[in-house]
Amino acid sequence: MATSCRSLALLRIFLAKSKPAARCIHTESKVTNSLVREKRNALFESEKQRQLSLVSRIEKIEVQYKGQPEDCTLVMNKNLSTPFNCAMHIEEVVMSRSVLALVNGEPWDMHRPLKESCQLHFMHFEDENPTLANEAFWRSCSFMLGYVLETAFKEQHYVQLCSFPVPNVRSGSFVYDADLGLEDWRPNSIELNTLSRTGFKLFFKEYRFERLKVDASVALNMFADNRFKTTQIPSIASRSESGSTVTVYRMGDHVDITGGPLISNTGQLGRFNVTAFHDIESSSYGPLTRVQGTALPVQLPMHYWSYENIIAKRAQKLNTAPVPELKQAQPLQSSAS
Amino acid sequence: MALLAHVARGCSRIPKLQLEAALSVRFQSTLSHNDTKARRARELRPRRNYLLNDEVEQHRKSLLQQSPEVEEIPVQQAEANVPRDFRHVMPEFLPDPNPLYRDRVTEKLERMDMYRRRTCIDIPEFYVGSIMAVTMADHHAPGKQSRFVGICIQRSGTGLRADFTLRNVIDGQGVEVRFDMYGASLQKIEVLKLEQRLDDELFYLRDAAQEYSTIPFDFEPVPLPKGATVPVNSTKVKLNPRPWLERWERHELKGVEDLNLPEKKYRRARQVAKPWERWDLMKRQRESINEDEEESIMKETYMETESTRRARGRQKASLKKTR
Amino acid sequence: MLRFRIRTRPRKMASLEGLGSGPEGRLKRLRKHVTALIRHERLETTYAQCDETRGYAEKLITMAVRNGDRDKHTMEMADYWLLEKDLIHKLFKVLVPRYQSLPATATSIHRISTEYPGDGRHMGVLELKGNPWPPVRPQPRNTRLHLHNIQLEEAKKEYHQERLRAKSAAAAVPPEGSSVDGPAGSSVDPDPIDSESESGESKNSGDSSKR
Repeated sequence: MATSCRSLALLRIFLAKSKPAARCIHTESKVTNSLVREKRNALFESEKQRQLSLVSRIEKIEVQYKGQPEDCTLVMNKNLSTPFNCAMHIEEVVMSRSVLALVNGEPWDMHRPLKESCQLHFMHFEDENPTLANEAFWRSCSFMLGYVLETAFKEQHYVQLCSFPVPNVRSGSFVYDADLGLEDWRPNSIELNTLSRTGFKLFFKEYRFERLKVDASVALNMFADNRFKTTQIPSIASRSESGSTVTVYRMGDHVDITGGPLISNTGQLGRFNVTAFHDIESSSYGPLTRVQGTALPVQLPMHYWSYENIIAKRAQKLNTAPVPELKQAQPLQSSAS
Repeated sequence: MALLAHVARGCSRIPKLQLEAALSVRFQSTLSHNDTKARRARELRPRRNYLLNDEVEQHRKSLLQQSPEVEEIPVQQAEANVPRDFRHVMPEFLPDPNPLYRDRVTEKLERMDMYRRRTCIDIPEFYVGSIMAVTMADHHAPGKQSRFVGICIQRSGTGLRADFTLRNVIDGQGVEVRFDMYGASLQKIEVLKLEQRLDDELFYLRDAAQEYSTIPFDFEPVPLPKGATVPVNSTKVKLNPRPWLERWERHELKGVEDLNLPEKKYRRARQVAKPWERWDLMKRQRESINEDEEESIMKETYMETESTRRARGRQKASLKKTR
Repeated sequence: MLRFRIRTRPRKMASLEGLGSGPEGRLKRLRKHVTALIRHERLETTYAQCDETRGYAEKLITMAVRNGDRDKHTMEMADYWLLEKDLIHKLFKVLVPRYQSLPATATSIHRISTEYPGDGRHMGVLELKGNPWPPVRPQPRNTRLHLHNIQLEEAKKEYHQERLRAKSAAAAVPPEGSSVDGPAGSSVDPDPIDSESESGESKNSGDSSKR
């Protein structure tokens, strides 16, 4: 009870402190995660439809697939067909277990449209060298952790996600740094379990990870209610190829910014646990909470004893990934890149 | 009794465990929950105290063996130059090949006992066809011992149960005596004439003229020069006219003269013969043990008996001439 | 020396046209199998027949390796067992050098799936080691880089490092007989900065940027 009073008080202080930029919704009324989520989802959807309408006519591309059960050449639609669609033509096993695609050697999301004729190869967790798949999985888990933080708390607590570091599987945990608006709060075992289950429920939903490359302005609009993301978007956009685009991903109705490829869908999640909350201090962003978790894909089963007593226990230790710092936006590049 | 009366009345108020316990005292393991046909068969089946080839191979290949902490126990077999045919000199040291009867521990213990016995009494090298004299303790004989001389017609058994049979004709009566080689009542075993015959067993002497089996009791020992090979006595024994104790025409005997039988006997012998057994490699394998095991046992035997042989001032084990 | 299990009794085999029945027919049939095995280096038949053939093939090869081609007895055996006489040359000139120093069986036997519908016989494959065909069983893949194995490996490393640290800490502190903070059994949290779980690949500090 004391915690909730304190947190309510903190929430009021927070609201007083932060004056979100223009174009954020409901400046007078309370900002809640659910409202923000709705808004972001709507913006994502509209942008997605707009980009889809840009594909005026259907052109064909040749996709050469190399792998099991046999090498083949598929004729697919340019800017519409995804590697997942190619897998649908090949075999169900390939479709369900594939985590990532390699398009001309480049890691590619399963639901990202193919642009030109290419060579296609699929990756899954039980390859001889599943490093890329593992990294994609870890990244997706951080993404899902962000979803958990934005959905699990009650309406009165507004959570602002800051960012997550480059995935390091060997560290034993994936991370999301956020401002929970709750000082001196540590979840007890039941609350941790609840958070974990919120994440694990995604397994039943089987949401796809949809990728979209948006202009920095659209991104700023989407994340106007997040004081961290608004500062990050310019620097991310400046480091992009075109100089002004930002990659966003959507899972269900949760939208977030991340660069690298994510897994195919949340149905590939086997285990998901939120393990620890640590306090960190960022010079650019101030005090943040580092939320850590650990997960395993459904393709790699493990006995609960090993998972709970070895892996999840290790994931409780503070992850030594670097604390988020604001990187200055690079000057705009003169020539088209 | 009261409990059984309850059962007879079909009373169900007795706790189940109590009932089972009571009845199992009388009726052993009839109510046991795991009294299955398979379990009973397993209990009746003879147990094997011996690791089969593939089991040994598994242990050899296991990850535990590859651990750096595993110390190799140095085998104490020195570089003894064991003659290749040594297995024929002391064949009783090799175990029965039947895996049901094999037990390496028992065999090792038996061999140890055999070496110890050999330090007490000299058990010389002999073959089927050698003329031997055995002095045995006999409570009822004058001088408390009896001596028997005869020609060795059979050598069988393994381990401490090894035996040999001597045949002689005494007062016109053929007599065969089987002696336990490692029996405690044997006081002396002498080989009066060390030689081999063309066959492994000389049971046909029973159907031959008595002259072939008569050995005088005062037979003088025939010394062999040092380092000589065991001579092969290629006498061809003439058998008496039929009836015989066995159908000798079916036995592939080398040490008998032409049997002079009607052709149909030989025809029938050819019909019942199993010439393919000559090529049956697995049959031979089943009648013997693994070669490496044989080698190691023979090496051990050679080294253990070496000192005994030297102490007795005997010649080194002469090589058996391969037929 | 045989490194595989031998049954106490030989299996009986069905009679075949032209080969006869009983033990003689069995040996004639096995001769054909052994010849085929030496020629093609892989034999696919019922598991029972593979097992029976295996003993004879191994024994033949062992004899050839041990005695060489100058031994009369071995040559006779090879002559009997190999119906096609060019295989005698192969046995002594190809197989003997191959298996001379091999401390294992010369043959491998595998069980393969029973075809359904069919007569339900258990099938097997008998092959000579070092044959040119693709493997019967798939090679096991290396699972070291699988996600769960990576996690366990790292956890194991950390555990051993922690133990080492505890040991060296115990060695450094002179034993005073006090029972406070027993080194071996204490649950001291490792210094997170010293732990080896560094994200060494991070180029951009903190931003959720492109990889």
